[in-house]
Amino acid sequence: MDFIVAGFIKAIELLISGDSSTWTAIFATLKVSTCSMVLSIGAGLPCGFLLGYFDFRGKKALRTFVDTMLALPTVFIGLAVYAFISHQGPLGEFNLLFTLTGIAIGQTILALPIVTAITASTIENIDHDLKLTLVTLGAGKRNIITTCLWEVRYGILAAAVTAYGRVLTEVGISMMVGGNIKYHTRTITTAIALETNKGLFANGIALGLVLIFIAFIVNLSLSFLRKQ
Amino acid sequence: MTIRELAYHLKDICHYYGNTKVLDIDELKIKKRSITALIGPNGSGKSTLLKLLAFAQKPTQGQILYKGRKEYPFSSGIRSKITLLTQKPYLLKRTIFENIAYGLKIRKDTDNLEKRVKEALLNVGLDYEKFENRKWHELSGGEAQRVAMAARLILKPEVLLLDEPVASVDTKSAKLIRRASLNARQELGTTLVIASHDLQWLYSISDRQISMFKGQLFSTGIENIITQPFEKQNSKTHIKRLDDGQIIKLPPPAPKTCNAIIRKKKVFIGLEQQEESASLNQLYGQIASMLFEKKTGLIMTTVTVHDTSFVLRLNPDEITNLELHPGKKVILKFDIHDIEWI
Repeated sequence: MDFIVAGFIKAIELLISGDSSTWTAIFATLKVSTCSMVLSIGAGLPCGFLLGYFDFRGKKALRTFVDTMLALPTVFIGLAVYAFISHQGPLGEFNLLFTLTGIAIGQTILALPIVTAITASTIENIDHDLKLTLVTLGAGKRNIITTCLWEVRYGILAAAVTAYGRVLTEVGISMMVGGNIKYHTRTITTAIALETNKGLFANGIALGLVLIFIAFIVNLSLSFLRKQ
Repeated sequence: MTIRELAYHLKDICHYYGNTKVLDIDELKIKKRSITALIGPNGSGKSTLLKLLAFAQKPTQGQILYKGRKEYPFSSGIRSKITLLTQKPYLLKRTIFENIAYGLKIRKDTDNLEKRVKEALLNVGLDYEKFENRKWHELSGGEAQRVAMAARLILKPEVLLLDEPVASVDTKSAKLIRRASLNARQELGTTLVIASHDLQWLYSISDRQISMFKGQLFSTGIENIITQPFEKQNSKTHIKRLDDGQIIKLPPPAPKTCNAIIRKKKVFIGLEQQEESASLNQLYGQIASMLFEKKTGLIMTTVTVHDTSFVLRLNPDEITNLELHPGKKVILKFDIHDIEWI
């Protein structure tokens, strides 16, 4: 028990003293997760809307595919991205292996089905009377789409938060595609894994605290937005 | 009616949900600035017809002309001009002010917005100061319906379609909604089409009543539909047995028909039974309601025969002579040959 308490104290010291290895991992994490979230929301939101709003041939099969992608293991995504961006892979010429961009690509693939599936479910559950109401108030097609999205804004925020949680805490992609290079591609989760293996619990706990803090800030912002 | 006088002209309309035909209308004309009442049981197609009139849906077959022009959902000729209020309207997840101003904002007509929202709320008996910042979930059912009505009236629509607007609201809200809809017709010349089970209200305000049954229209107003099951008695007569033992005699059904209709003008009322005849139906019943029809000066009388209702129009003299009143036991009479199959 003592080592856990000591770990907490050391963790706070590391954060306050501005320990460079700890802070570079924090910044790397924020950078890749923000980048992957922007990409996955940018692509997942319209895809989820199309999937949830319109009826088309093959919709059920596509929905099953997206739902299956939700359970995709991070190590498998890591492996696939590695295969594509390694020097022998089809995207090898872009030198993305062991870069933050490479990790962001992998994390986007991880978050995309989450954003798409939850957005689609949210849109599917829209009250049937909403569209009729909007049409009879003179709304055009574009007004209907924007108003529908605004009506389900909390559901979409939930999709984004769920995806962010998954991206923030994944290890497999960051480790395989990023390579856990200190001061370069080391993220909070890969750093925790490494430090714990080395027996440096304090560093691990410090980074763990930061993860919890980020999750807390995200949820706090969301509940503030809801109240607004 | 000339084309200029018409708000709507529906031609050869057939509408399906999947493989089920829900509307079958050869022709329907609705005059501008008129009040048309749609009467019929649940599932008769009233709501579907209103959605087509609102251009919220396109009919499977046929065409709808609005002011002489063929219009479609989202076309500029009808947007913001025709609006529909349903029984349970959807309020946007915003403040009451935003809900009412929505229609004006999307058409970028925001001059004096606050004043117009205030007037719209006042029109349905709601206080602006008290309601403008309330959220959509902070209203009672009646208040929500009035807000929805205000959101439509602020658009100053050419046509206001009301689908059971007062069916699930309190008495005060119902009164205010009825008043607001009539104001729209008086002040703006709005054409009203109202579907409701409140026959007293409909008969007192409407210029014309159209009854509906299984997607078909009867432009003579409410009519008496005799529904299945029927039994074949002999080659010339079919019968419908009522649960109290009485029977209705009908002619053999025409091909591809399944229900019968006896028009109200063919139904008579008496107090004494006539001599039995193979072609005469005589049914014992009780007067359930009597409504004054403002336009004709006649009394729309409903007679309940066990669990089936029949309507007929009576003139006030007949009522005086027979001393008719709700609750009085009477005999309904109609000839088998006056029954039509639909």
